[in-house]
Amino acid sequence: MSDIKLVDVTKQYEGQPQPAVDAVSLDIAAGELVVFVGPSGCGKTTTMKMINRLIEPTSGQILLGGADVMSIEPNELRRHIGYVIQQIGLFPHMTISENIQLVPGLLGWNRDRSRRRADELLDLVGLDPAAYRDRYPRQLSGGQQQRVGVARALAADPPVMLMDEPFGATDPITRERLQKEFLRLQAELRKTIVFVTHDFDEAVKLGDRIAVLKERSRVAQYDTPARILAAPADDYVASFAGSATAIKRLALIPAVRLPGEPLDERDGLPVLERGGSARDALDLMVRRGTSRVAVGDRTVDFAMICALLEDEHGR
Amino acid sequence: MAVETLGGAFGAATRKGRGHSFATPAVLAATLVLLYLWVSTRQLDSMEARVLSAAFIRDAALTHLTVTAVSASLVVVIAIPLGVLLTRPFARRLAPWVMAAANAGQAAPALGVLVLLSILFGIGTRIAVVTLVLHATLPVLRNTIAGIQQVDTALLEAGRGMGMSRGQILRRLELPLAVPVVMAGLRTTIVICVGIATVATFINAGGLGDIIVAGIKLQRTSILVTGGVLTAVIALALDWLAGLAEKYVRPHGI
Repeated sequence: MSDIKLVDVTKQYEGQPQPAVDAVSLDIAAGELVVFVGPSGCGKTTTMKMINRLIEPTSGQILLGGADVMSIEPNELRRHIGYVIQQIGLFPHMTISENIQLVPGLLGWNRDRSRRRADELLDLVGLDPAAYRDRYPRQLSGGQQQRVGVARALAADPPVMLMDEPFGATDPITRERLQKEFLRLQAELRKTIVFVTHDFDEAVKLGDRIAVLKERSRVAQYDTPARILAAPADDYVASFAGSATAIKRLALIPAVRLPGEPLDERDGLPVLERGGSARDALDLMVRRGTSRVAVGDRTVDFAMICALLEDEHGR
Repeated sequence: MAVETLGGAFGAATRKGRGHSFATPAVLAATLVLLYLWVSTRQLDSMEARVLSAAFIRDAALTHLTVTAVSASLVVVIAIPLGVLLTRPFARRLAPWVMAAANAGQAAPALGVLVLLSILFGIGTRIAVVTLVLHATLPVLRNTIAGIQQVDTALLEAGRGMGMSRGQILRRLELPLAVPVVMAGLRTTIVICVGIATVATFINAGGLGDIIVAGIKLQRTSILVTGGVLTAVIALALDWLAGLAEKYVRPHGI
Protein backbone atom coordinates (compact mmCIF):
# COMPACT_ATOMS: atom_id res chain seq x y z
CA MET A 1 0.00 0.00 0.00
CA SER A 2 1.14 3.47 -0.73
CA ASP A 3 0.55 6.54 1.31
CA ILE A 4 1.29 9.97 -0.13
CA LYS A 5 3.02 12.69 1.81
CA LEU A 6 3.40 16.26 0.55
CA VAL A 7 5.93 18.30 2.47
CA ASP A 8 6.11 22.05 1.80
CA VAL A 9 5.55 21.49 -1.91
CA THR A 10 5.95 24.68 -3.91
CA LYS A 11 5.68 25.40 -7.61
CA GLN A 12 6.98 28.74 -8.77
CA TYR A 13 6.67 29.50 -12.48
CA GLU A 14 9.28 31.82 -13.88
CA GLY A 15 8.08 35.36 -14.38
CA GLN A 16 5.12 34.95 -12.05
CA PRO A 17 4.98 37.21 -8.99
CA GLN A 18 3.53 34.47 -6.77
CA PRO A 19 3.97 30.72 -6.68
CA ALA A 20 1.18 28.65 -8.28
CA VAL A 21 1.40 26.26 -5.36
CA ASP A 22 2.69 27.65 -2.09
CA ALA A 23 4.24 25.34 0.52
CA VAL A 24 1.50 22.72 0.60
CA SER A 25 1.77 19.93 3.15
CA LEU A 26 -0.71 17.05 3.20
CA ASP A 27 -0.73 13.45 4.37
CA ILE A 28 -2.84 10.99 2.47
CA ALA A 29 -3.18 7.58 4.07
CA ALA A 30 -2.92 4.40 2.04
CA GLY A 31 -6.31 3.33 0.72
CA GLU A 32 -7.83 6.73 1.32
CA LEU A 33 -9.79 8.76 -1.22
CA VAL A 34 -8.85 12.41 -0.81
CA VAL A 35 -10.60 15.08 -2.82
CA PHE A 36 -8.85 18.34 -3.66
CA VAL A 37 -11.62 20.87 -4.02
CA GLY A 38 -11.27 24.53 -4.85
CA PRO A 39 -12.18 27.15 -7.43
CA SER A 40 -10.72 27.11 -10.94
CA GLY A 41 -7.13 28.24 -11.06
CA CYS A 42 -6.46 27.61 -7.38
CA GLY A 43 -3.63 25.23 -8.19
CA LYS A 44 -5.34 21.98 -7.26
CA THR A 45 -4.55 20.31 -10.58
CA THR A 46 -0.98 21.58 -10.47
CA THR A 47 -0.62 20.09 -7.00
CA MET A 48 -1.97 16.76 -8.21
CA LYS A 49 0.25 16.70 -11.29
CA MET A 50 3.34 17.11 -9.16
CA ILE A 51 2.63 13.72 -7.62
CA ASN A 52 3.31 11.91 -10.91
CA ARG A 53 5.84 14.52 -12.01
CA LEU A 54 3.85 15.82 -14.96
CA ILE A 55 4.84 19.05 -13.28
CA GLU A 56 8.07 19.24 -11.33
CA PRO A 57 7.96 20.97 -7.96
CA THR A 58 10.29 23.93 -7.43
CA SER A 59 10.89 22.94 -3.83
CA GLY A 60 9.54 20.62 -1.17
CA GLN A 61 9.17 16.90 -1.20
CA ILE A 62 6.58 14.37 -2.30
CA LEU A 63 6.86 10.93 -0.78
CA LEU A 64 5.06 7.95 -2.25
CA GLY A 65 5.11 4.99 0.11
CA GLY A 66 8.08 6.67 1.74
CA ALA A 67 10.08 7.12 -1.48
CA ASP A 68 10.81 10.58 -2.89
CA VAL A 69 9.12 10.76 -6.30
CA MET A 70 12.02 12.84 -7.59
CA SER A 71 14.26 9.80 -7.15
CA ILE A 72 12.10 7.67 -9.47
CA GLU A 73 12.41 7.82 -13.28
CA PRO A 74 9.30 9.78 -14.38
CA ASN A 75 7.93 7.29 -16.91
CA GLU A 76 8.50 4.39 -14.54
CA LEU A 77 6.76 6.37 -11.79
CA ARG A 78 3.75 7.17 -14.00
CA ARG A 79 3.31 3.57 -15.10
CA HIS A 80 2.60 2.73 -11.46
CA ILE A 81 0.16 5.57 -10.88
CA GLY A 82 -3.28 5.40 -12.47
CA TYR A 83 -4.19 8.62 -14.26
CA VAL A 84 -7.65 9.72 -15.35
CA ILE A 85 -8.38 13.09 -16.96
CA GLN A 86 -11.58 14.94 -17.67
CA GLN A 87 -11.19 14.68 -21.44
CA ILE A 88 -10.72 10.92 -20.90
CA GLY A 89 -8.14 10.80 -23.67
CA LEU A 90 -8.90 7.33 -25.01
CA PHE A 91 -6.72 6.74 -28.06
CA PRO A 92 -9.12 6.79 -31.02
CA HIS A 93 -7.04 4.50 -33.23
CA MET A 94 -6.85 1.72 -30.67
CA THR A 95 -9.66 -0.61 -29.66
CA ILE A 96 -11.07 -0.45 -26.15
CA SER A 97 -9.06 -3.52 -25.21
CA GLU A 98 -5.85 -2.07 -26.70
CA ASN A 99 -6.41 1.14 -24.78
CA ILE A 100 -6.67 -0.77 -21.51
CA GLN A 101 -3.67 -2.95 -22.35
CA LEU A 102 -1.43 0.04 -22.94
CA VAL A 103 0.22 0.36 -19.53
CA PRO A 104 0.55 -3.41 -19.02
CA GLY A 105 2.25 -3.41 -22.43
CA LEU A 106 4.64 -0.68 -21.32
CA LEU A 107 5.41 -2.75 -18.25
CA GLY A 108 6.25 -5.75 -20.41
CA TRP A 109 3.36 -8.03 -19.55
CA ASN A 110 2.81 -10.72 -22.15
CA ARG A 111 -0.13 -10.29 -24.51
CA ASP A 112 -2.28 -13.04 -23.05
CA ARG A 113 -2.07 -11.68 -19.57
CA SER A 114 -2.78 -8.10 -20.73
CA ARG A 115 -5.75 -9.28 -22.75
CA ARG A 116 -7.23 -11.24 -19.86
CA ARG A 117 -6.67 -8.26 -17.60
CA ALA A 118 -8.49 -5.95 -20.03
CA ASP A 119 -11.50 -8.28 -20.07
CA GLU A 120 -11.46 -8.50 -16.30
CA LEU A 121 -11.46 -4.71 -16.00
CA LEU A 122 -14.23 -4.23 -18.54
CA ASP A 123 -16.27 -6.59 -16.39
CA LEU A 124 -15.35 -4.62 -13.30
CA VAL A 125 -16.56 -1.32 -14.74
CA GLY A 126 -19.76 -2.92 -15.99
CA LEU A 127 -19.06 -3.29 -19.72
CA ASP A 128 -19.49 -6.69 -21.33
CA PRO A 129 -16.01 -7.62 -22.65
CA ALA A 130 -17.37 -9.65 -25.55
CA ALA A 131 -19.41 -6.69 -26.75
CA TYR A 132 -16.92 -3.90 -26.11
CA ARG A 133 -13.33 -5.12 -26.30
CA ASP A 134 -12.98 -4.76 -30.06
CA ARG A 135 -14.88 -1.51 -30.43
CA TYR A 136 -13.26 1.83 -31.00
CA PRO A 137 -13.71 4.72 -28.55
CA ARG A 138 -15.88 6.80 -30.89
CA GLN A 139 -18.42 3.96 -30.90
CA LEU A 140 -19.02 4.43 -27.15
CA SER A 141 -21.10 6.99 -25.26
CA GLY A 142 -19.39 9.54 -23.01
CA GLY A 143 -20.25 7.61 -19.86
CA GLN A 144 -18.97 4.35 -21.33
CA GLN A 145 -15.79 6.08 -22.44
CA GLN A 146 -15.21 7.39 -18.94
CA ARG A 147 -15.68 3.87 -17.55
CA VAL A 148 -13.03 2.68 -19.97
CA GLY A 149 -10.85 5.59 -18.86
CA VAL A 150 -11.07 4.34 -15.28
CA ALA A 151 -10.48 0.75 -16.39
CA ARG A 152 -7.39 1.87 -18.32
CA ALA A 153 -6.02 3.64 -15.28
CA LEU A 154 -6.56 0.49 -13.20
CA ALA A 155 -4.97 -1.80 -15.78
CA ALA A 156 -1.65 -2.47 -14.09
CA ASP A 157 -3.29 -2.44 -10.65
CA PRO A 158 -1.49 0.70 -9.46
CA PRO A 159 -1.72 1.37 -5.70
CA VAL A 160 -2.24 5.08 -6.37
CA MET A 161 -4.65 6.84 -8.71
CA LEU A 162 -4.80 10.49 -9.73
CA MET A 163 -8.12 11.67 -11.11
CA ASP A 164 -8.55 15.15 -12.58
CA GLU A 165 -12.27 16.00 -12.70
CA PRO A 166 -12.98 12.62 -14.28
CA PHE A 167 -16.75 13.04 -14.30
CA GLY A 168 -16.76 16.77 -15.05
CA ALA A 169 -17.75 16.52 -18.70
CA THR A 170 -20.67 14.11 -18.29
CA ASP A 171 -24.35 14.99 -17.91
CA PRO A 172 -25.76 15.03 -14.35
CA ILE A 173 -27.51 11.66 -14.59
CA THR A 174 -24.49 9.88 -16.02
CA ARG A 175 -22.27 11.62 -13.50
CA GLU A 176 -24.31 10.41 -10.58
CA ARG A 177 -24.25 6.86 -11.89
CA LEU A 178 -20.50 7.00 -12.49
CA GLN A 179 -19.95 8.38 -8.99
CA LYS A 180 -21.95 5.54 -7.44
CA GLU A 181 -20.12 2.90 -9.44
CA PHE A 182 -16.85 4.52 -8.59
CA LEU A 183 -17.60 4.40 -4.85
CA ARG A 184 -18.57 0.74 -5.15
CA LEU A 185 -15.31 0.09 -7.01
CA GLN A 186 -13.24 1.96 -4.46
CA ALA A 187 -14.89 0.09 -1.57
CA GLU A 188 -13.62 -3.07 -3.23
CA LEU A 189 -10.18 -1.89 -4.38
CA ARG A 190 -9.10 0.53 -1.62
CA LYS A 191 -6.69 2.48 -3.81
CA THR A 192 -4.99 5.60 -2.57
CA ILE A 193 -6.77 8.21 -4.66
CA VAL A 194 -6.27 11.91 -5.21
CA PHE A 195 -9.40 13.24 -6.85
CA VAL A 196 -9.56 16.81 -8.12
CA THR A 197 -12.87 18.62 -8.57
CA HIS A 198 -14.36 22.09 -8.25
CA ASP A 199 -17.73 20.58 -7.28
CA PHE A 200 -18.05 20.59 -3.50
CA ASP A 201 -21.07 18.29 -3.54
CA GLU A 202 -19.08 15.75 -5.51
CA ALA A 203 -16.29 16.07 -2.96
CA VAL A 204 -18.74 15.40 -0.12
CA LYS A 205 -20.18 12.41 -1.92
CA LEU A 206 -16.89 10.76 -2.78
CA GLY A 207 -14.19 11.83 -0.37
CA ASP A 208 -13.00 10.00 2.72
CA ARG A 209 -11.37 13.34 3.40
CA ILE A 210 -11.56 16.65 1.59
CA ALA A 211 -8.80 19.18 1.22
CA VAL A 212 -10.47 22.53 0.62
CA LEU A 213 -7.90 24.61 -1.25
CA LYS A 214 -7.77 28.33 -1.71
CA GLU A 215 -5.55 30.41 -3.95
CA ARG A 216 -1.99 29.15 -4.43
CA SER A 217 -3.31 25.77 -3.37
CA ARG A 218 -3.07 26.64 0.31
CA VAL A 219 -5.06 24.23 2.47
CA ALA A 220 -8.02 25.99 4.07
CA GLN A 221 -9.28 22.84 5.74
CA TYR A 222 -8.41 19.17 5.50
CA ASP A 223 -10.95 16.91 7.15
CA THR A 224 -13.79 14.45 6.67
CA PRO A 225 -16.82 15.70 4.73
CA ALA A 226 -19.01 15.49 7.87
CA ARG A 227 -16.61 17.59 9.92
CA ILE A 228 -16.14 20.19 7.22
CA LEU A 229 -19.91 20.52 6.90
CA ALA A 230 -20.39 20.63 10.68
CA ALA A 231 -17.52 22.93 11.51
CA PRO A 232 -16.06 24.84 8.58
CA ALA A 233 -12.67 26.25 9.54
CA ASP A 234 -13.35 29.74 8.22
CA ASP A 235 -15.68 31.85 6.09
CA TYR A 236 -13.96 30.70 2.92
CA VAL A 237 -14.72 27.05 3.63
CA ALA A 238 -18.22 27.94 4.81
CA SER A 239 -18.95 29.80 1.59
CA PHE A 240 -17.58 26.90 -0.40
CA ALA A 241 -19.68 24.40 1.52
CA GLY A 242 -22.72 26.48 0.60
CA SER A 243 -26.12 26.49 2.22
CA ALA A 244 -28.09 23.65 3.81
CA THR A 245 -24.99 22.04 5.24
CA ALA A 246 -27.02 20.23 7.92
CA ILE A 247 -29.06 18.55 5.19
CA LYS A 248 -25.87 17.71 3.28
CA ARG A 249 -24.47 16.10 6.43
CA LEU A 250 -27.56 13.96 6.80
CA ALA A 251 -26.94 12.61 3.32
CA LEU A 252 -23.67 11.13 4.62
CA ILE A 253 -25.38 9.13 7.39
CA PRO A 254 -27.05 5.83 6.50
CA ALA A 255 -30.53 5.74 8.05
CA VAL A 256 -29.87 2.33 9.59
CA ARG A 257 -27.28 4.00 11.80
CA LEU A 258 -29.94 6.23 13.37
CA PRO A 259 -31.04 5.24 16.87
CA GLY A 260 -34.56 3.91 16.67
CA GLU A 261 -37.29 2.20 18.59
CA PRO A 262 -38.56 -1.25 17.74
CA LEU A 263 -41.43 -1.22 15.34
CA ASP A 264 -44.49 -2.81 16.99
CA GLU A 265 -46.64 -3.31 14.02
CA ARG A 266 -46.73 -1.49 10.76
CA ASP A 267 -49.19 1.11 11.93
CA GLY A 268 -49.29 2.93 8.64
CA LEU A 269 -45.86 4.56 8.93
CA PRO A 270 -44.16 5.43 5.66
CA VAL A 271 -41.35 2.95 4.97
CA LEU A 272 -37.89 4.16 3.94
CA GLU A 273 -36.24 2.32 1.05
CA ARG A 274 -33.31 0.09 1.89
CA GLY A 275 -29.96 1.86 1.73
CA GLY A 276 -31.54 5.26 2.29
CA SER A 277 -29.70 7.98 4.17
CA ALA A 278 -30.83 10.10 7.12
CA ARG A 279 -31.59 12.79 4.57
CA ASP A 280 -33.86 10.41 2.69
CA ALA A 281 -35.64 9.69 6.00
CA LEU A 282 -36.12 13.40 6.63
CA ASP A 283 -37.30 13.90 3.08
CA LEU A 284 -39.86 11.15 3.57
CA MET A 285 -41.11 12.82 6.77
CA VAL A 286 -41.49 16.17 5.07
CA ARG A 287 -43.25 14.65 2.09
CA ARG A 288 -45.69 12.60 4.18
CA GLY A 289 -46.17 15.19 6.92
CA THR A 290 -45.21 12.74 9.66
CA SER A 291 -42.47 12.94 12.25
CA ARG A 292 -41.85 9.19 12.24
CA VAL A 293 -40.85 6.74 9.52
CA ALA A 294 -40.10 3.01 9.44
CA VAL A 295 -36.52 2.06 8.75
CA GLY A 296 -36.19 -1.70 8.50
CA ASP A 297 -37.70 -3.16 11.68
CA ARG A 298 -37.43 0.08 13.63
CA THR A 299 -38.99 3.52 13.72
CA VAL A 300 -37.00 6.71 13.51
CA ASP A 301 -38.39 10.09 14.49
CA PHE A 302 -37.47 13.68 13.73
CA ALA A 303 -36.04 14.39 17.20
CA MET A 304 -33.58 11.52 16.81
CA ILE A 305 -32.27 12.98 13.58
CA CYS A 306 -31.76 16.37 15.22
CA ALA A 307 -30.06 14.75 18.19
CA LEU A 308 -27.77 12.84 15.85
CA LEU A 309 -26.64 16.02 14.11
CA GLU A 310 -25.90 17.44 17.55
CA ASP A 311 -23.80 14.35 18.41
CA GLU A 312 -22.02 14.32 15.08
CA HIS A 313 -20.99 17.92 15.57
CA GLY A 314 -17.76 17.04 17.26
CA ARG A 315 -17.15 13.74 15.49
CA MET B 1 0.19 25.39 -39.83
CA ALA B 2 -2.14 25.99 -42.70
CA VAL B 3 -4.04 22.78 -43.18
CA GLU B 4 -6.75 24.71 -44.95
CA THR B 5 -4.48 25.45 -47.92
CA LEU B 6 -4.77 21.77 -48.70
CA GLY B 7 -8.27 21.74 -47.31
CA GLY B 8 -9.81 20.21 -50.39
CA ALA B 9 -7.60 17.17 -50.44
CA PHE B 10 -7.61 16.84 -46.65
CA GLY B 11 -11.36 17.16 -46.34
CA ALA B 12 -12.03 14.72 -49.12
CA ALA B 13 -9.56 12.27 -47.64
CA THR B 14 -11.02 12.32 -44.17
CA ARG B 15 -14.68 12.46 -45.01
CA LYS B 16 -14.78 9.69 -47.58
CA GLY B 17 -16.03 6.40 -46.23
CA ARG B 18 -14.20 3.10 -46.27
CA GLY B 19 -15.65 2.05 -49.59
CA HIS B 20 -13.61 3.27 -52.55
CA SER B 21 -15.17 4.60 -55.69
CA PHE B 22 -14.32 2.86 -58.91
CA ALA B 23 -15.79 5.70 -60.94
CA THR B 24 -12.37 7.33 -61.40
CA PRO B 25 -10.61 4.34 -63.00
CA ALA B 26 -13.67 3.67 -65.16
CA VAL B 27 -13.69 7.23 -66.50
CA LEU B 28 -9.92 7.15 -67.04
CA ALA B 29 -10.14 3.86 -68.93
CA ALA B 30 -12.96 5.23 -71.07
CA THR B 31 -10.87 8.33 -71.81
CA LEU B 32 -7.96 6.20 -72.98
CA VAL B 33 -10.23 4.09 -75.18
CA LEU B 34 -11.71 7.23 -76.76
CA LEU B 35 -8.23 8.64 -77.31
CA TYR B 36 -7.15 5.41 -78.98
CA LEU B 37 -10.22 5.29 -81.20
CA TRP B 38 -9.81 8.91 -82.16
CA VAL B 39 -6.15 8.53 -83.05
CA SER B 40 -6.67 5.27 -84.91
CA THR B 41 -9.38 6.77 -87.16
CA ARG B 42 -7.00 9.49 -88.32
CA GLN B 43 -4.67 9.27 -91.27
CA LEU B 44 -1.26 9.62 -89.56
CA ASP B 45 1.67 11.08 -91.44
CA SER B 46 5.17 9.70 -90.95
CA MET B 47 6.08 12.06 -88.10
CA GLU B 48 2.84 11.32 -86.24
CA ALA B 49 3.25 7.61 -86.82
CA ARG B 50 6.75 7.70 -85.33
CA VAL B 51 5.76 9.59 -82.15
CA LEU B 52 2.45 7.79 -81.69
CA SER B 53 3.96 4.33 -81.98
CA ALA B 54 3.32 1.97 -79.09
CA ALA B 55 7.04 1.68 -78.31
CA PHE B 56 7.61 5.45 -78.20
CA ILE B 57 4.59 6.08 -75.98
CA ARG B 58 5.44 3.18 -73.68
CA ASP B 59 9.02 4.41 -73.20
CA ALA B 60 7.88 7.97 -72.54
CA ALA B 61 5.21 6.87 -70.07
CA LEU B 62 7.57 4.50 -68.25
CA THR B 63 10.23 7.19 -67.92
CA HIS B 64 7.58 9.60 -66.70
CA LEU B 65 6.33 7.14 -64.10
CA THR B 66 9.85 6.30 -62.98
CA VAL B 67 10.82 9.95 -62.52
CA THR B 68 7.57 10.57 -60.63
CA ALA B 69 7.93 7.48 -58.43
CA VAL B 70 11.57 8.16 -57.58
CA SER B 71 10.85 11.82 -56.81
CA ALA B 72 7.77 11.12 -54.68
CA SER B 73 9.68 8.41 -52.77
CA LEU B 74 12.52 10.81 -52.11
CA VAL B 75 10.04 13.41 -50.92
CA VAL B 76 8.59 10.88 -48.47
CA VAL B 77 12.03 9.90 -47.23
CA ILE B 78 13.07 13.53 -46.78
CA ALA B 79 9.90 15.39 -45.81
CA ILE B 80 8.32 13.03 -43.26
CA PRO B 81 11.39 12.73 -41.01
CA LEU B 82 12.05 16.45 -41.45
CA GLY B 83 8.46 17.26 -40.55
CA VAL B 84 8.62 15.03 -37.47
CA LEU B 85 11.87 16.67 -36.45
CA LEU B 86 10.40 20.14 -36.79
CA THR B 87 7.60 19.28 -34.37
CA ARG B 88 10.03 18.19 -31.63
CA PRO B 89 10.50 20.78 -28.90
CA PHE B 90 14.22 21.26 -29.55
CA ALA B 91 13.76 21.98 -33.26
CA ARG B 92 10.41 23.75 -33.23
CA ARG B 93 12.09 27.15 -33.62
CA LEU B 94 13.59 26.05 -36.93
CA ALA B 95 10.20 25.25 -38.43
CA PRO B 96 9.46 28.70 -39.90
CA TRP B 97 12.85 28.77 -41.64
CA VAL B 98 12.51 25.32 -43.15
CA MET B 99 8.95 26.06 -44.17
CA ALA B 100 10.15 29.26 -45.86
CA ALA B 101 12.70 27.22 -47.81
CA ALA B 102 10.07 24.65 -48.81
CA ASN B 103 7.70 27.43 -49.81
CA ALA B 104 10.43 29.00 -51.92
CA GLY B 105 11.05 25.60 -53.50
CA GLN B 106 7.45 25.35 -54.55
CA ALA B 107 7.11 29.00 -55.55
CA ALA B 108 10.17 28.99 -57.80
CA PRO B 109 9.23 28.16 -61.41
CA ALA B 110 10.15 24.54 -61.95
CA LEU B 111 11.40 25.15 -65.45
CA GLY B 112 13.76 27.89 -64.27
CA VAL B 113 15.13 25.71 -61.49
CA LEU B 114 15.53 22.85 -63.92
CA VAL B 115 17.52 24.95 -66.37
CA LEU B 116 19.70 26.50 -63.66
CA LEU B 117 20.48 23.13 -62.16
CA SER B 118 21.31 21.66 -65.56
CA ILE B 119 23.67 24.54 -66.30
CA LEU B 120 25.42 23.90 -62.99
CA PHE B 121 25.36 20.12 -62.90
CA GLY B 122 24.62 18.93 -66.40
CA ILE B 123 21.55 17.38 -67.94
CA GLY B 124 19.76 14.09 -67.39
CA THR B 125 17.21 12.27 -65.31
CA ARG B 126 18.95 12.92 -62.02
CA ILE B 127 18.65 16.66 -62.32
CA ALA B 128 15.00 16.27 -63.25
CA VAL B 129 14.44 14.27 -60.07
CA VAL B 130 16.23 16.88 -57.96
CA THR B 131 14.02 19.61 -59.44
CA LEU B 132 10.89 17.62 -58.72
CA VAL B 133 11.92 16.93 -55.14
CA LEU B 134 12.64 20.63 -54.54
CA HIS B 135 9.31 21.53 -56.04
CA ALA B 136 7.10 18.89 -54.44
CA THR B 137 8.46 18.60 -50.89
CA LEU B 138 6.19 21.26 -49.42
CA PRO B 139 2.84 19.41 -49.29
CA VAL B 140 4.21 16.39 -47.46
CA LEU B 141 6.38 18.49 -45.17
CA ARG B 142 3.61 20.90 -44.29
CA ASN B 143 1.05 18.15 -43.78
CA THR B 144 3.41 16.08 -41.63
CA ILE B 145 3.84 19.07 -39.34
CA ALA B 146 0.14 19.94 -39.43
CA GLY B 147 -0.87 16.30 -38.98
CA ILE B 148 1.22 15.95 -35.85
CA GLN B 149 0.15 19.32 -34.48
CA GLN B 150 -3.54 18.57 -34.91
CA VAL B 151 -3.34 15.57 -32.56
CA ASP B 152 -5.54 16.35 -29.55
CA THR B 153 -3.36 17.53 -26.67
CA ALA B 154 -5.56 15.58 -24.23
CA LEU B 155 -4.31 12.37 -25.88
CA LEU B 156 -0.70 13.41 -25.46
CA GLU B 157 -1.36 14.34 -21.86
CA ALA B 158 -3.03 10.97 -21.27
CA GLY B 159 -0.10 9.20 -22.90
CA ARG B 160 2.44 11.10 -20.85
CA GLY B 161 0.45 10.54 -17.67
CA MET B 162 0.41 6.81 -18.34
CA GLY B 163 4.18 6.73 -18.59
CA MET B 164 4.79 6.63 -22.34
CA SER B 165 8.19 7.93 -23.35
CA ARG B 166 8.55 10.65 -25.99
CA GLY B 167 9.47 8.04 -28.59
CA GLN B 168 6.47 5.89 -27.70
CA ILE B 169 4.16 8.90 -27.89
CA LEU B 170 5.55 9.72 -31.34
CA ARG B 171 5.39 6.17 -32.70
CA ARG B 172 2.15 5.03 -31.13
CA LEU B 173 0.09 8.22 -30.96
CA GLU B 174 1.36 11.13 -33.05
CA LEU B 175 2.40 9.31 -36.22
CA PRO B 176 -0.62 7.00 -36.59
CA LEU B 177 -2.99 9.86 -35.89
CA ALA B 178 -1.20 12.07 -38.45
CA VAL B 179 -1.45 9.48 -41.23
CA PRO B 180 -4.60 10.82 -42.94
CA VAL B 181 -3.20 14.33 -43.14
CA VAL B 182 0.23 13.17 -44.30
CA MET B 183 -1.36 10.99 -46.97
CA ALA B 184 -3.39 13.94 -48.23
CA GLY B 185 -0.10 15.82 -48.62
CA LEU B 186 1.45 12.88 -50.43
CA ARG B 187 -1.40 12.80 -52.94
CA THR B 188 -0.82 16.46 -53.69
CA THR B 189 2.91 15.80 -54.08
CA ILE B 190 2.30 12.94 -56.50
CA VAL B 191 -0.02 15.00 -58.68
CA ILE B 192 2.49 17.88 -58.71
CA CYS B 193 5.26 15.44 -59.66
CA VAL B 194 3.33 14.01 -62.61
CA GLY B 195 2.64 17.49 -63.90
CA ILE B 196 6.08 18.95 -63.42
CA ALA B 197 7.83 15.84 -64.77
CA THR B 198 6.73 16.97 -68.24
CA VAL B 199 9.43 19.66 -68.22
CA ALA B 200 12.12 16.99 -67.84
CA THR B 201 12.10 16.78 -71.62
CA PHE B 202 13.96 20.12 -71.79
CA ILE B 203 17.07 18.60 -70.23
CA ASN B 204 16.81 15.43 -72.23
CA ALA B 205 15.39 13.39 -69.35
CA GLY B 206 12.49 11.98 -71.37
CA GLY B 207 8.97 11.42 -70.18
CA LEU B 208 5.61 12.43 -71.60
CA GLY B 209 7.00 15.94 -72.06
CA ASP B 210 8.76 14.51 -75.14
CA ILE B 211 5.39 13.82 -76.74
CA ILE B 212 3.84 17.14 -75.76
CA VAL B 213 6.80 19.16 -76.98
CA ALA B 214 6.94 17.14 -80.20
CA GLY B 215 3.26 17.94 -80.72
CA ILE B 216 3.92 21.64 -80.26
CA LYS B 217 7.01 21.76 -82.45
CA LEU B 218 5.49 19.66 -85.23
CA GLN B 219 2.13 21.39 -84.90
CA ARG B 220 0.36 18.02 -84.79
CA THR B 221 -2.81 18.15 -82.72
CA SER B 222 -3.01 14.37 -82.45
CA ILE B 223 0.42 14.19 -80.82
CA LEU B 224 -0.25 17.14 -78.52
CA VAL B 225 -3.59 15.77 -77.37
CA THR B 226 -2.15 12.30 -76.81
CA GLY B 227 0.67 13.65 -74.64
CA GLY B 228 -1.63 15.92 -72.65
CA VAL B 229 -4.33 13.34 -72.07
CA LEU B 230 -1.83 10.65 -71.04
CA THR B 231 -0.25 13.01 -68.49
CA ALA B 232 -3.62 13.89 -67.01
CA VAL B 233 -4.74 10.25 -66.91
CA ILE B 234 -1.55 9.21 -65.12
CA ALA B 235 -1.91 12.03 -62.58
CA LEU B 236 -5.52 11.13 -61.79
CA ALA B 237 -4.78 7.40 -61.73
CA LEU B 238 -1.90 7.80 -59.28
CA ASP B 239 -4.02 10.09 -57.12
CA TRP B 240 -6.71 7.44 -57.06
CA LEU B 241 -4.19 4.72 -56.19
CA ALA B 242 -2.74 6.86 -53.41
CA GLY B 243 -6.26 7.35 -52.07
CA LEU B 244 -6.68 3.58 -52.08
CA ALA B 245 -3.37 3.18 -50.26
CA GLU B 246 -4.46 5.75 -47.72
CA LYS B 247 -7.46 3.61 -46.83
CA TYR B 248 -5.14 0.73 -46.03
CA VAL B 249 -2.52 2.59 -44.04
CA ARG B 250 -4.95 4.83 -42.16
CA PRO B 251 -5.51 3.35 -38.68
CA HIS B 252 -8.94 1.94 -37.93
CA GLY B 253 -11.05 3.92 -35.53
CA ILE B 254 -10.29 7.36 -36.95
